[in-house]
Amino acid sequence: MIDPALVVGIIRILFVCIIITAAYIISTRNLLSVVSVYAIQSFTLVCIALALYSLEGSIVLLAIAGVTLISKVIIIPYFIATIQEKIRIKRDIEFHYLSPTTSLLISMALMLVIYMSLGRIVEGTPARQSLFFFGAVLGISLMLMGMMVTFSRKRAITKVLGFLSMENGVLLFGMFVTELPFIIEFLIIIDLIILVILTTILSVGIDSTLEDYNKRLHRFHLLEESEEVL
Amino acid sequence: MILVAFVLVSVLALVIIAVSRNHRQMNTVCILQALIFCLLVVYLVVFQQVPVVSFLVGSQYFFIDHFGLFEVFIATVIFTCAAVYARGYVEGLISSGELEKGSLKLFYSAWALLLLVIVLAFFSDNLALFWIFAELTTVISAMLVAILSARENIDAAIKYIFVASVSMLFAFVGFIFLFEVSRVSLGAGTLNWTVLMQHAAVFPPVMMIASFALVFVGFAAKSGIFPFHTWLPDAHAKAPSAVSAILSGVLLNVGIYGIIRVYAIVHQTTAVLTIAPMLALFGILTIGIAALSMLPQKNLKKLVAFSSVENMGIMLVGLAISTPVALFWVLFHILAHSLTKASLFFSSGILHRQYRSRFSSDAADEIRDVFRLQPLAAWGIILGGLAIIGIPPFPIFYSEFFILLQLGTVSVWVLGVMLILLFIAAVGLGYFVLTTFTQVSEPGTQSDIEPYRTPASMKVPVIFLLVLLLVVGIVLPSGGFEFLNQIVMELKF
Repeated sequence: MIDPALVVGIIRILFVCIIITAAYIISTRNLLSVVSVYAIQSFTLVCIALALYSLEGSIVLLAIAGVTLISKVIIIPYFIATIQEKIRIKRDIEFHYLSPTTSLLISMALMLVIYMSLGRIVEGTPARQSLFFFGAVLGISLMLMGMMVTFSRKRAITKVLGFLSMENGVLLFGMFVTELPFIIEFLIIIDLIILVILTTILSVGIDSTLEDYNKRLHRFHLLEESEEVL
Repeated sequence: MILVAFVLVSVLALVIIAVSRNHRQMNTVCILQALIFCLLVVYLVVFQQVPVVSFLVGSQYFFIDHFGLFEVFIATVIFTCAAVYARGYVEGLISSGELEKGSLKLFYSAWALLLLVIVLAFFSDNLALFWIFAELTTVISAMLVAILSARENIDAAIKYIFVASVSMLFAFVGFIFLFEVSRVSLGAGTLNWTVLMQHAAVFPPVMMIASFALVFVGFAAKSGIFPFHTWLPDAHAKAPSAVSAILSGVLLNVGIYGIIRVYAIVHQTTAVLTIAPMLALFGILTIGIAALSMLPQKNLKKLVAFSSVENMGIMLVGLAISTPVALFWVLFHILAHSLTKASLFFSSGILHRQYRSRFSSDAADEIRDVFRLQPLAAWGIILGGLAIIGIPPFPIFYSEFFILLQLGTVSVWVLGVMLILLFIAAVGLGYFVLTTFTQVSEPGTQSDIEPYRTPASMKVPVIFLLVLLLVVGIVLPSGGFEFLNQIVMELKF
């Protein structure tokens, strides 16, 4: 049996890893590394789930770790990377409203706000040790940071990554706040996979290069009346 | 076991679509699927003891109560009409090259799947399960929006997916809160709506406020409530009209349904004192934004889409009043709005085929000689427009009238604001009709517009829905009233 204090220490370190990955996803412009950082973030979640399992011994956590490993560390990043190669975009330098620096500052402020407001909400409920409370705060922060990515980036494929990182936040929050039945977690992953596949396929349509785009326009008679291009 | 019947019919429909070769077959399958679903609902209402609880072995996941049945009934009626409409409409899309023949199979499979997922969502007892089905409806319907694969459609679909899904994640966090609340209060955590309803009185109000606020964010986005309505006009205007009717008439209901379900739980705690004003505020804001956006609108489908936003606001205000009478008329409004809006989208779909602008669906419609070219659609828009702004004897008149009457007992000022906003919305619609429908090309000049030969399958749903609306409005069937009363009782208002 591992010493619980050591496990708690490990979880704290993993928390730091999660914050770093989230900050990286917000600020970086290189698309391929965003995908790998997302995979790392998911893997950190797997580690947290395993660490929690050694603390609590709930079999659900083990299952969550397994499903997360397969879907979010392997399948989804692989899929997105393949699509990215297809549409040949390496960098996403367009930001809508927020520059990376401002978003980092905002996310720090968000964390503070969440820490305080969540503290007030869970005040009355029993068994709120600091570790679990931190997990919940971090989960929601990760969610909001993901949301910022989704709304501040222009490329659909980066939006997807923001959404995925949001979902990681939900998972983190769920793990620390309560014990959801496994079937629910599993169904969410399925939903996630469908959503990722659909949005990435759609984003091929939107992010693809200009020539492809013109071809599309011709095909749908939107550009000008020309001969049928099939 | 009846739930299995729903699933089996859909699987069968999907298989037939997969093997069928031409458009007519696939379309017939979808019409039949919706019709069978409709019959199943009627069977449930007439012959079964509602609420039906045990379907799947030891089921705590699904149940059928009056509210679910009511929503499923609306959904199946609209789907049937929309499938009939699609028969002519999709053919037009193919012949004009807007829809590739290869996408047909995908289109109809998504269609059949969407109906099944919606039905399962309405029959879910477990809130998390409901969440997942609601999320799937977003994904599948976004596919139907993007099917035209013009760039603006993909844009609209992506916006729809992201706004709705991102918000729905908040709803999920809300459900996690709810789960934790029930775990602390009841000992064992559950998300079963029936169980939560039984024990709602003991839940701590602060946690309930937090949880409801999060859930509200999610489902507000799903039903196009301010400030999460931004995706709605785009998606509704750019989708093929048959799909727009479903988006507006059925999918928005999924969001409102979720809000009502969770509100019913909150309603039994003191948290309702905080939440009801919040709902009213969002409702009024929604109506305001929609009404003001309708005023300068030059695009018919966008106009109709904004009118959906407005009606969702009305429902929210009605819900915020939280008296049994108000809830009753909110439910009635859901029915009336769905039918009216579907017929409006069908009519504007016909006009869209006639006058479709070649460049963008954002552009103003160049409608000319409408009574000569498309008399039915023109009258459909006029009558539907009268119905949607609440002119008697159309059913929306009653629901709006009684909701406003109830609102008057709470606050006269809010009532005044709402009346003004409703008036603005009505003016917006009326102004559009007056300015565009009166444009006639000068006599003697050769009109270069070729009349679009509207297939009968596109006309029938419009007429059917308008007649149905008149029947509901004039007869006000008493059996239906009893049914709605049952829902109000089950929601413990």
